[in-house]
Amino acid sequence: MNYFKTIINGIVKENPTFVLLLGMCPTLATTTSAVNGLGMGVATMFVLICSNTFISLLKNLIPDGVRIPCYIVVIASFVTLLQMLMQAYVPDLYKTLGIFIPLIVVNCIILGRAEAFAAKNNVLASICDGVGIGIGFTIALTLLGFVRELLGNGAVFGYRIFPESMNMLVFVLAPGAFITLGLLMAIVNSVKNRKA
Amino acid sequence: MKKLESNIANMAIVLTAIAVVAGGLLAWVNNVTAGPIEQINNQAIENGIKSVILGDRDIEFRVEDPTEKEGFVFHNVYDMNDNLLGTAVESTDKNGFGGAFKVMVGFDSEGKILGYEVLEHSETPGLGAQANDWFRQKSGEVQEQSAVTTLLLGAPGKPGNHNIIGMNPGDDMMTVSKDGGQVDAITASTITSKAFLRAVNAAYKAVFGYTAADAVSGASSQN
Repeated sequence: MNYFKTIINGIVKENPTFVLLLGMCPTLATTTSAVNGLGMGVATMFVLICSNTFISLLKNLIPDGVRIPCYIVVIASFVTLLQMLMQAYVPDLYKTLGIFIPLIVVNCIILGRAEAFAAKNNVLASICDGVGIGIGFTIALTLLGFVRELLGNGAVFGYRIFPESMNMLVFVLAPGAFITLGLLMAIVNSVKNRKA
Repeated sequence: MKKLESNIANMAIVLTAIAVVAGGLLAWVNNVTAGPIEQINNQAIENGIKSVILGDRDIEFRVEDPTEKEGFVFHNVYDMNDNLLGTAVESTDKNGFGGAFKVMVGFDSEGKILGYEVLEHSETPGLGAQANDWFRQKSGEVQEQSAVTTLLLGAPGKPGNHNIIGMNPGDDMMTVSKDGGQVDAITASTITSKAFLRAVNAAYKAVFGYTAADAVSGASSQN
């Protein structure tokens, strides 16, 4: 198994947001600014790598009949751990992402990768898959947040570029998330089709 | 190693074992992080009190132990000669745009607003989330813009009045201008603005017993 290929696969060919269309809820909800998207992406990546590692380690110990509850316990533990650590050591980020952190538990990317990858592959490959999918998710969220912040708030990573009167508020709100996501997916697909 | 068979004993043992290990790990991390988390929360409250009562003034002060009543938390702040500098009130309105809206407001002994600090909110970033700055901006301050912008987009709009510092909810109608009050709502965030002003009025009422807005909007505030 080519580990490098596994990572690239997660970023490009199986990008969770643009190709697999998994985890849409946090994708649309948290990407009101580039920093929020980045924070959510990194937090999800952390949980994904940890859960992939442990589930792949325990895959032969877990009987098939109870695998889903076992996976969820492992995932939920890491999310709670992350939540407490963030609250204690990066309170500012926790303040912005607060309500979305517990929702990582039910983010289908994480359970999806546990089922589809970690339960069938060795530890190292599973870590690589976690890194790849995590980076893919982070890039997608940051990109989405970047576009929405630029158009909706006239700023990039908090630095103002356009004056406030040129803001298109709709991009900060929910409809803007759908519009931006649709357009970005169209761009990604057209680039991919051209290559093929 | 071969995969464990899915019989009832194996399933029960594995799931229990995983849950116990996970529980233990969480208990340990909770134990480690409880201290820092509490410290951060206390620090936030302390900074809030300092900012809403003293503002930029740099004087020695002491804070009485907080008292709690009907969901409000009161912090009385005295200077070193035991004169009351003001009261900081933590007040929550449940109906913000995205959920509960918690704010700390500082009143002097006559009820004039010395300052405020938004403690918790779930408002829209870029819109309602501006509440922490909006209600202390002096008239016209928001509209400041560069010469280039003026050239491109024309002169700035009419400055609004949304600086609540120095107002007294007992004398002033502290509702949004749409409701006949004296405060201009955040552009495109009337719900947030109303929640904020409700929290401020409630805080005032909790200390002084009445507000000017009560008499007029008593009936409509239920909407």
